[in-house]
Amino acid sequence: MPENENIKRLLTAISVNNDQAAYRELFILLHARLKQFAYSILKSGEEAEELVSDVFIRIWQKREQLENINSPLLYFYTTTKNLALNQLSKQKRQVNLSPEEWLVQVNSLYFDPEQLMLTEEMFRQVKKAVNDLPPRCRLIFKLVKEDGLRYKEVAELLQLSVKTIEAQMAIALRRIGKCMHFELKTAIPARAQTILKK
Amino acid sequence: MSQETFWILLSKKLSGEASLEELVVLENLILEHPEWQLAIQNLGEIWKYQPKKDQTEEEDAYMLHLQRMQELNVPFGNMPDQTPVVSMSGRKKMKRWYWAAAVLLVLASTWALLMKPFKGGQGQEMARQVSEITTRPGSTSKVELPDGSMVWLNAGSKLTYNKDFGKELREVTLSGEGYFDVTKMKDKPFIIHTSNINIKVLGTAFNVKAYPEDKLSETSLIRGSIEVTIKNRPNDKIILSPSEKLVVENDRVVRRGVVQKPVDAPVSPMVPMVAVNKLRYSPADSSIDEIAWMDNRLIFRNETMEELALRMERRYAVQIQIEADELKEMKVNGIFDQESVAQALEALKEMIPSINYVKEGNQIIINR
Repeated sequence: MPENENIKRLLTAISVNNDQAAYRELFILLHARLKQFAYSILKSGEEAEELVSDVFIRIWQKREQLENINSPLLYFYTTTKNLALNQLSKQKRQVNLSPEEWLVQVNSLYFDPEQLMLTEEMFRQVKKAVNDLPPRCRLIFKLVKEDGLRYKEVAELLQLSVKTIEAQMAIALRRIGKCMHFELKTAIPARAQTILKK
Repeated sequence: MSQETFWILLSKKLSGEASLEELVVLENLILEHPEWQLAIQNLGEIWKYQPKKDQTEEEDAYMLHLQRMQELNVPFGNMPDQTPVVSMSGRKKMKRWYWAAAVLLVLASTWALLMKPFKGGQGQEMARQVSEITTRPGSTSKVELPDGSMVWLNAGSKLTYNKDFGKELREVTLSGEGYFDVTKMKDKPFIIHTSNINIKVLGTAFNVKAYPEDKLSETSLIRGSIEVTIKNRPNDKIILSPSEKLVVENDRVVRRGVVQKPVDAPVSPMVPMVAVNKLRYSPADSSIDEIAWMDNRLIFRNETMEELALRMERRYAVQIQIEADELKEMKVNGIFDQESVAQALEALKEMIPSINYVKEGNQIIINR
């Protein structure tokens, strides 16, 4: 994924050259996503803002070790998650908060009436369907679609299997399809199945 | 195929997670069901769309973040030295920082005033958003500036420039050594500030060596033309031609914590001594000595052991102590090409058989 490559390039500049311009670029790139993610756990905008700042302080302080991270996006999300959960437990709020209880909001559903053959009503249904997704499903959907994490990264972050991620994404998509009256009523020929079984 | 499998495949495809085989299976399936095409296309469109966000919110958040790092005493480049502490007590102060735009202006100017001015105190210009690149001892680095100019930084050097770079002037500050290849822009002079000289260029290639702890700073011109002004002699402008170099004696020499003034300075200490020399070419391959460091070569001609030790410290990221005083003043010639520090020390021992050295990790002691 080209974004991980871009992030790795910035991390190298920060790690090797103390490049402040690269650090700033990284911050601007990740800030909104990480803040939303922190918010979903902390449920306070102000605390989320501070937490992301803490994450970036860590990034600066540990910059020499940042050069060779394989999945930088996963690293940032995991750090954010851990710091947020730690904070909750230090403040004795909601100990053992599970991902199901994270407050997830999906923001990037838009449509251009010129491009899509959807009515506004249909689209409203789509948005509603996504917001009505079971919490874990919605979280996974957001992390993949909006935040750009790979299935493997989401699995690692939430301590789930990749198969679970696949299944949840399928559920989300099917529900969206239903709003557009796209439901599979007929079974699909079995010959396709043998190729898939590996 | 079950319905579940279809949706798994389609969602994998939209997320970019499908394998080639899976894509083929999916495509073949879709081809057999043209009535699905429209819905699948719509799903794809909904999936892809990412609204273009403007960055002002993020830029503001970054400013607040820098402010917060300062308040928490996190050392960040050109801020005064402080012990790094991310303390929880900082949190209590932070309630007030999540404020509206009006307050941001106040924060921005306070922050700018707190930063050390890096242009030698010009007064009216506040140091806004500064970009800083540093190299550690033992490593060199290549940097591209916003105007396309390239700078190669030698070990232990620092280059800074601010947000206004390229607007009317192209100004940078250098501590250490850098080779500059400057894009030609007639209407936007490129100016380099070091601790005691300013160099103005229009478009050219040259090397500047201005380590604060060195006795001399040197500016070597490779091609083009540059104008050098010495900070304490503003009316003297020296214009160099290719193959010339300007050597300026720093008026104060700080070596390992002891401040010394040049003992035999014939002029007042406030005005540095200046000389224009020719660049040295290596007879073997006509390469230029002054920029040999870019090829990772260290060439020393008639340098004292003490001076050589300092250069070796930068190149190899080691600490060298010379125990015998008469050894410090001994002059040596040679070239270090791809040698490791251990090999370089052996080579020195061959040149001066009476020396001995002890190397422990990156601490080296040389004596007789």
